[in-house]
Amino acid sequence: MKTKAILMLLLVVTIFIGCSSDKKDTLYIYNWTYYIPDSIVKDFEHQYNVKVVYDVFSSNEEMFAKLKAGGKGYDVVFPSGDFVKIMIKEKMLASLDKSKLPNIKYLDKNVLAKISYDPGNLYSLPYMIGTAGIAVNKEKVANYEHSSNIFNRKDLQGKMTMLDDMREVLGLALKSLGYSVNTTDNQQLAQAQKVVQGWKQNILKFDAESFAKGFASGEFLVVQGYAENIFLEVDTPNRSHIEFFIPKEGSAMYIDNMVILKDSKNQDLAYAFINYIHEPQVYAKICDFLKLPAVNTESRKYIKEKPHYQLEDLKNCELKEDLGPDLEKYNKIWEEIRI
Amino acid sequence: MKKNYGYYYITPLALWLSLFFVIPLGIIFIFSFLEKGLYGGVNLHFSLAAYKALISPSLLKILWATLYMATASTFLIIMLALPTAYFIARSQHKNALLFLIIIPFWTNFLIRIYAWIAILGNNGFLNQFLLKLGLIHDYIQFLYNPLAVIIVITYTYLPFAILPLYSTIEKFDFSLLEAARDLGSSKFQSILLVLLPNIRSGIFSAVLFSFIPAFGAYAIPALVGGSSSFMLGNIIARELTVTRNWPLASAISTVLTLVTMLGVLVFMRQNSLSSRKQTKEPSTNNA
Repeated sequence: MKTKAILMLLLVVTIFIGCSSDKKDTLYIYNWTYYIPDSIVKDFEHQYNVKVVYDVFSSNEEMFAKLKAGGKGYDVVFPSGDFVKIMIKEKMLASLDKSKLPNIKYLDKNVLAKISYDPGNLYSLPYMIGTAGIAVNKEKVANYEHSSNIFNRKDLQGKMTMLDDMREVLGLALKSLGYSVNTTDNQQLAQAQKVVQGWKQNILKFDAESFAKGFASGEFLVVQGYAENIFLEVDTPNRSHIEFFIPKEGSAMYIDNMVILKDSKNQDLAYAFINYIHEPQVYAKICDFLKLPAVNTESRKYIKEKPHYQLEDLKNCELKEDLGPDLEKYNKIWEEIRI
Repeated sequence: MKKNYGYYYITPLALWLSLFFVIPLGIIFIFSFLEKGLYGGVNLHFSLAAYKALISPSLLKILWATLYMATASTFLIIMLALPTAYFIARSQHKNALLFLIIIPFWTNFLIRIYAWIAILGNNGFLNQFLLKLGLIHDYIQFLYNPLAVIIVITYTYLPFAILPLYSTIEKFDFSLLEAARDLGSSKFQSILLVLLPNIRSGIFSAVLFSFIPAFGAYAIPALVGGSSSFMLGNIIARELTVTRNWPLASAISTVLTLVTMLGVLVFMRQNSLSSRKQTKEPSTNNA
């Protein structure tokens, strides 16, 4: 009786093991939603005869909290610059062996020069650079400047949304006042708070999840957001009704990066993947998909689609930096605005 | 000799519950008394800072808003669920109707919220319908306010109230209603004085099954709430991610759990009281 039970148990266990075992090497990637076209991942799987497990997050905070809470097992992660700095400080990243990343030579020197969160790129390689901008439904909104002052317009009250992201919204307000998006000066922050409180009167909601759907359906006429998120929801024929601009005063800018986690079990494959992404022709396909400006100079020869904005448009934008303990100031102001 | 297998039977359940329920709950409880780490996580120092932060006016405001929205939707749910359950219990097609109540569960909960956005939106079905009928001239802002949150919560948790109500109403002896009418009570009185007290346990479970999830709602206020309709669930998520204050998130969760537990305890007490009363009643009638 007992031996029978044990045999059954063994059988069940072997079935489970049988399911999960796979001869191929597996690479675990943790990336933003819709940030790499599926075809690129499939091509990589074919070329290297490996399996890729691809998980997604929708904010740096979500990614960081998951890794911090013990979410292990990822090899390559795509944090933004400020979080690269935090992850370096928290000793979560493996330092990069650049001899395994020959394609590093294609990276735009001007972009690399801006990187203050990881000088010399010891732990991270840039993937994409960009900023939140403002999208306007041109059919229904006329006479506007390329400026964040559009959120002051009373006639658009209840038809606008801003991101539910304190750094983006306060950053936009700080820039409109001519301050740094990383300021920790109480006076400047108080002024920015007033600006945002003014905007809050006119916007319908702070939303970083479903605003793009609402914009595409014509419910919202002006939205703050990332170009790639917004255009993903809008059908191609309707794209001519939409203008996406980066406010002339500038806004908070980001560089998303590829890093290898310290406890990654498959570092060689992780290097191969990062290097593969920066193959000029591969990278060009990603840029065509996202329509973001390329940080890989060689790839610019192969890009077919016109990006939503150019690197030059970002000249007034400023990289978000980790604020450390001063983040508390932003938290407090944001709480006062939101609640 | 007869062997007592009782413990063997409950072992899997006990293991499951302690692994995935008791231990996480314990972690939350302990975290709430620790110091916050700069980048999330906790430092192993005892601190009451999280509980002090709980009494801030902004959090109390959210607690109030959460209570208000959860209570309002629970009230609506019961008001809708009672007649529905009564109707099903008295209907000839009980199984078919119950089946209809369960069908929405086949679709993912988030998709159903997005369906509500499609219905209530400014260009949504409801506004277009009203505009076509000429009842309104400009769209009505249904979405992105506390009312939208209440409507969608009511919709989502209605089945959880209908099912327990149905099961108690179904066991109710309807001849009692006729007896009440015979003895001179009006239709309304007989329902209020005879039916409702007899299905009290069902009402209590319905209240609990709708109030508890409504009180901890997260996705609904995040998707259909407006620029300041937060509920506690959203604050917990925010403290865990954006502000990186894990102890505060844990403290809010602990309080939420305590409030919920209190509700369950009150419910269990009421239930045992009413069942004791029911067993006593026949003897007094006989005397």
